[in-house]
Parts: sequence; structure tokens; C-alpha cells
Amino acid sequence: MQTKLYRLFSSVRLAIFLFLALAVTSIFGTLVQQGLPLERYEKIFSPDVFVVLKFFNVFDMYHSWWFTLLLVLLSINILACTFKQTPRVMNLTFPRKREIDDSVFTSSQIRKTWHSQQDLSDLEEQTQVLLKSLAGTPVQVKKINDARYFFAERGKYSCLGMVFVHVSILFILGGGLIGTIWGFSGQMNVVEGTTSDTVLLFSGTGTEKLGFDVRCDDFTVDFYEMGMPKEYRTDVTILEGGKKVASGTIRVNHPLIYNGLKFCQATYGIAGIDNFRIVVQNSRTGKKTGLTMGLMEKAALPESTASFAITRFVPNQGGEIPAVMGVLLEPGKAHDIFWIEKNKRKEKGDFTFTLQDFDKHYYTGIQVSKDPGVPFVWTGFSLILSGFILSLFFAHTRVWLRIAAVQGGYEISLAADVSKNKKVFREKLEGLIGTLQQGGAA
Amino acid sequence: MNDTFFVSIVTFAYFSAAFVFLVSFIFEKKCIDTVAVVITVAGLVIQTLALIIRWIHSYQLGIGHAPLSNFYESLVFFSWSIIFIYMITRKRYGNTITGTLATFFSFLILAYASLSGKVDCRIQPLIPALQSNWLISHVISSFLAYACFAIAFGTSILYLVKRRTGKWNIAQLPDAAVLDEIMYKMISIGFVLLTLGIITGAAWADRAWGRYWGWDPKETWSLITWLIYGAFLHARLARGWKGIKMSLISIIGFLAVIFTYLGVNYILSGLHSYL
Repeated sequence: MQTKLYRLFSSVRLAIFLFLALAVTSIFGTLVQQGLPLERYEKIFSPDVFVVLKFFNVFDMYHSWWFTLLLVLLSINILACTFKQTPRVMNLTFPRKREIDDSVFTSSQIRKTWHSQQDLSDLEEQTQVLLKSLAGTPVQVKKINDARYFFAERGKYSCLGMVFVHVSILFILGGGLIGTIWGFSGQMNVVEGTTSDTVLLFSGTGTEKLGFDVRCDDFTVDFYEMGMPKEYRTDVTILEGGKKVASGTIRVNHPLIYNGLKFCQATYGIAGIDNFRIVVQNSRTGKKTGLTMGLMEKAALPESTASFAITRFVPNQGGEIPAVMGVLLEPGKAHDIFWIEKNKRKEKGDFTFTLQDFDKHYYTGIQVSKDPGVPFVWTGFSLILSGFILSLFFAHTRVWLRIAAVQGGYEISLAADVSKNKKVFREKLEGLIGTLQQGGAA
Repeated sequence: MNDTFFVSIVTFAYFSAAFVFLVSFIFEKKCIDTVAVVITVAGLVIQTLALIIRWIHSYQLGIGHAPLSNFYESLVFFSWSIIFIYMITRKRYGNTITGTLATFFSFLILAYASLSGKVDCRIQPLIPALQSNWLISHVISSFLAYACFAIAFGTSILYLVKRRTGKWNIAQLPDAAVLDEIMYKMISIGFVLLTLGIITGAAWADRAWGRYWGWDPKETWSLITWLIYGAFLHARLARGWKGIKMSLISIIGFLAVIFTYLGVNYILSGLHSYL
């Protein structure tokens, strides 16, 4: 039973199945939008379908029990395969003893036998050169009975490449698990000039207290001439117990890192508008007056008994133009309500109003995340890349050679094992032996 | 001079090269093949120049960035990548018929980029999310991977044709075993490049969005593609699968590539809205 289970979990068949199962199931999560409140899905799907989808947690499927199960199975599969391969790989990479067995000369995929009548010393010299150009490294010599044995090897560490690649996946999945358990991510919206210490979690499980305050000193957004956003920028100060401990700028792609937490620029919005600058001209007297006022503030108009207030602001009246709703109050008359668009004169009664400018207060949306799994994931990424480099750019080449005395000369047998590009190796071998035999004949 | 002018020359060059490759393939003439290679290399050189000119031009406009940032630029770079990968692997894995496919495919992509009214070829400034040092490495590794998979896809189609036309065989086609080998090599190289593309994307996402992985549709589809080709490599290396089954996986894999590249942006919605 144990061996059967082990055989199953260390099988490549299971790996292929899991790869394809993960691939196919992952598609669902890209078709059904993830992570919305349940009520939204209830409206979209019929009750029966909803129950089934809810059971399989299709609404947050990448964190569902069955998807996690597939990932756990994959991890076990990788572990078992690595365990199974370890003895073979270790033996290839760090062999205890180099036994030269005559069987390689009959069993290897690449082998070659030829005869020579040259002196043994000449032959030895020639074959050393041959091995050197085939497998590079210096040559080991052994003498057993009358025969001389040589061995050359190159790129043995390339065997470790695949081990690295497989172990890297464990690091990445492990890092992901650590992040899920001990990490969090959420967002905090901070109005310019105010502080906050609370993050609203994306998982919908409430809030997280940071234990320090984040103050938004300034938020700016720049645009290109063509109207596309150029830069979002938040200047923040970190305060602990009211004392400034750090400050910095958060821009998109340039997060601030403090206390193991990453602060990224995520969104922004307008929190409030005030200091409306309004120029009022009294058309009877011609006098111009500049008013600076907030929403729902009343101001007396010059050389008149009337007063004026702003009751509403819209950022995009009739398209792009910001506008305020003004109210003109004159004793004995009904309120007169009208829109004043920015930089457009508006005549009303005895007055002409122009909205010149106003101050915007932004809030900045900062994404806060903590993920202690990241170093593991980065380790995994480095491992997988070094593994690929090892197995892509290096090939394990082993060449065995035997010179044995036979009647009328020597028989030279060569056997080789290369982990890839067998065809190229064969061509090279043929070429080298060709020149060797020509040289021998001459 | 405008880079789009050079791109139209290149479009014509790849079309001519595809035609000449095809002639060389049909009549099995080595010298014609050489002519096609010369045209292709000339096209590649001009296209590289066009990329550099566009890069310089963007600096002159005051919005300097590598020409890898919108749909038009991605199409042009995709076609460049296919020819680039074909040329550097040609000595070992290339042949006349894959040359026909590579140049013709690149021609189609460029023709779509230039002629379809939908693709805006103006140089646009970079939105904040794209202003990153990861842009170049992420885009280059991803598109080189796509290019390898595109060549593997073409080769799998040829493989199926070769196997299905036993009775009235296209004699000029390379042996099935050769096609199988090209498909496998291209997928191996593409797989490594795709891994690099996903890793650089994750590193970038970690800085831009605060997490290295968030199951965004683009991320998920790149993983789906990776898993399909991963399954291909395991089936081939460990279980010795070859032939028609592998061609089918390669074709499914390339459909996933296309969906990752285009489908996610046109059909699904997500953070990665700029291709």
C-alpha cells in the first residue's frame, strides 16, 4: 500500500494530470469575476447554480479548498519526485567512486571501436587529446589487466538544474502559503493633512491597526498635455506616538517600505473643495469684489443689501467644466438659484459672478501590504532561473575510453553519454576520429 | 523619417521573403533559400532600425520610453521577435518551410498593425503604472517566448500535415522526426523565456500593485499557458510522448498564448489593460 501510494505520488503522470487540472480549473476564475460580495452573485445566477458554485467557492476559487488541495497535491508530487531522483542525481554529480565497467562499451548509446597499430604511448597521447576536446577536463587513468582505461567528464553540475527547478516551485508555493497565513493587504484612504492608522482589508474580514500613524502631507496628480495621467504622488510622514519617525514619497512603481509593510500608490479622489474664489461685479456701480468662501457660507455683496452663498459643487458640469451652484438672497425677493461655471461670467440681477478658482483637497488611496512570504518566493525565482541556466547552457558529457591489446595492435573502444545534443556530439566525434585515423595512417 | 514608413518596408520584405521561401521549398533549391534569408535579414535589420528610430523619436517628443508600451508597439515587437528567434535558431533547428511560416506570420502581424484601423500607431506617453525599469525585460522576455511558441505552433501544424498526408505526401516537408524535434526545442526555449516573463512581471507587480501575484486574468492566463507547456515538457521528457499528441498540446498551448496576449484584454477585464 505504502509503495503504491509512493509510486503514485512520485509519478510524472500525476504531475501532468495536476498541471492540466490546474490549467483547466484556473480558466473558471478568469470567466467569473472573483471576490465580489455574495449578494451580487446571487442576483446573477439562478438559485440552483448559485448553490453549486458556492459549494465549490467559484467566487474566490483560487483560495477554495479544492484548488488549495490541487496545489498541496502538486507539492507532495514534487517532493516525492525529487526524493526519488535524489540518489541518481547525487550519484551523477558527486560520485563516491568512479568504477569503470566494461559494460559501458557495449551498452552506451554512443560508442565507437577502431583499431590501431601505433605505439601504446602514441595512442595514449592521441586519445588524451581526443578526450580533452570531447569532454574538456583532465583525464583519469586506470589500468586493469592489460587494458588502459580513461574517463573524461564535463558539466556534471547541469544535473542539478532540474532539481533546482523543482525545488523552486516548493519555495514559491511555500512563500505563497506563508503570505496567506501571516500576511495581509488592504487599503487606507487618507485625506491631505490628516492621519490614519487603519487599513481596510481586501479580504473583507475587517480592519488592521498599523500601530503607527500615516499622515498624508500632500497629494498631487500631474497630467501630460494630451490629458493622460503622468504621475500620482503622495508625500507621507510616519508618526509613532505623535513623533515623526520617517517620511517619504509614494509614487506608482515606487512604494514606501516601513516596518516590513509596503505602501503603494493605488488610487485617489477628491475629498473636499473649498476656498472658492468668486469675483462679483455690481453692474450698477461697476465695483468688482473678490470673495473667498466655502460651501454653505454666506457673504454680503458689495454696495447692496443682497448676499450670496454657494450650496453645491460639481467637478464636471456639462462635460468637463467645474461649476458651483450659487444662491442670491435679496431681502423681499425669492431665492435665486443658478449655476456658475468656472471662468464663465454669469449675470444675475444686478450682479455678474465669475468662478475663478477653488482649492481641491485630495485623499490618497494607499495600498498597504505585508507579506513575509516574499523572500521565499524570490528565492524560488532565483532557483528556477539558475536551474534553467544550468540545464540549458550546460550539458553533462561523460566519455569512457579503453585501449586494449589485441592481436596485431590495439583495439580502442569509446563510449559516451551526453545529456543533450547527441547529434552534435556524434558529428564532432566522427570528425575527431576521422582526423585521428588519417593522422595515424600518415 | 517616421518609423512607420520603415515598418511598411519591412512588411513588404517579410511578404517577399515568405514568397521566396515558399518557392525555394517547392523547388527544393538551396540558392533560392539563401535569397530568402538575405531578404529576411534585411527586413530584420530595417525593423530594428525602425524600433530605434521610434525610441529616439519618443525622446524628441519629450515622453521618451522604449517602443514596447502599447498595442501597436507590441505587434511590431512580436513580429520582430518571431524573425529574431527564427534567425538565431535557424542554423540548428530552422529550415526553409519554417522560414516560410515565420516570415508569413510576421507579415500578417505587421499588416494587421498597419492596415487595421483599430491599431493606433502614435507614440503615446507612459501612464504611471508603466513607468518602470521592469517594462523592457518583462516585455522582451514575454514576446520572445510568444515567438518561440508561434514557431512551435507552425511546426506542429506541419507535423500534422506530414503525418496525415501519407498517401499523397508532400515530399519536400522535413521528416516528421525533425519537425517533432524543432517543436520540442522551440517549446523548451519558449518555456524558459515565459518563466522569465512571469517572474519579471511578478517583480514588477510587487512594486506597482503591492503584490507579486493577484490572480488577475492576465496573470492567470500566463500561468495557464505555463502549465500547458509544462505538461508538454513533462510528457515529452519523462514519459517519452512524441508525435501527434504533442502537436495537439502545442496547438492548445499556442491558443492559450493568443488568449493571454489578446483575449484577456479584449474579452476579460483586469489591471493589465495595456497589453
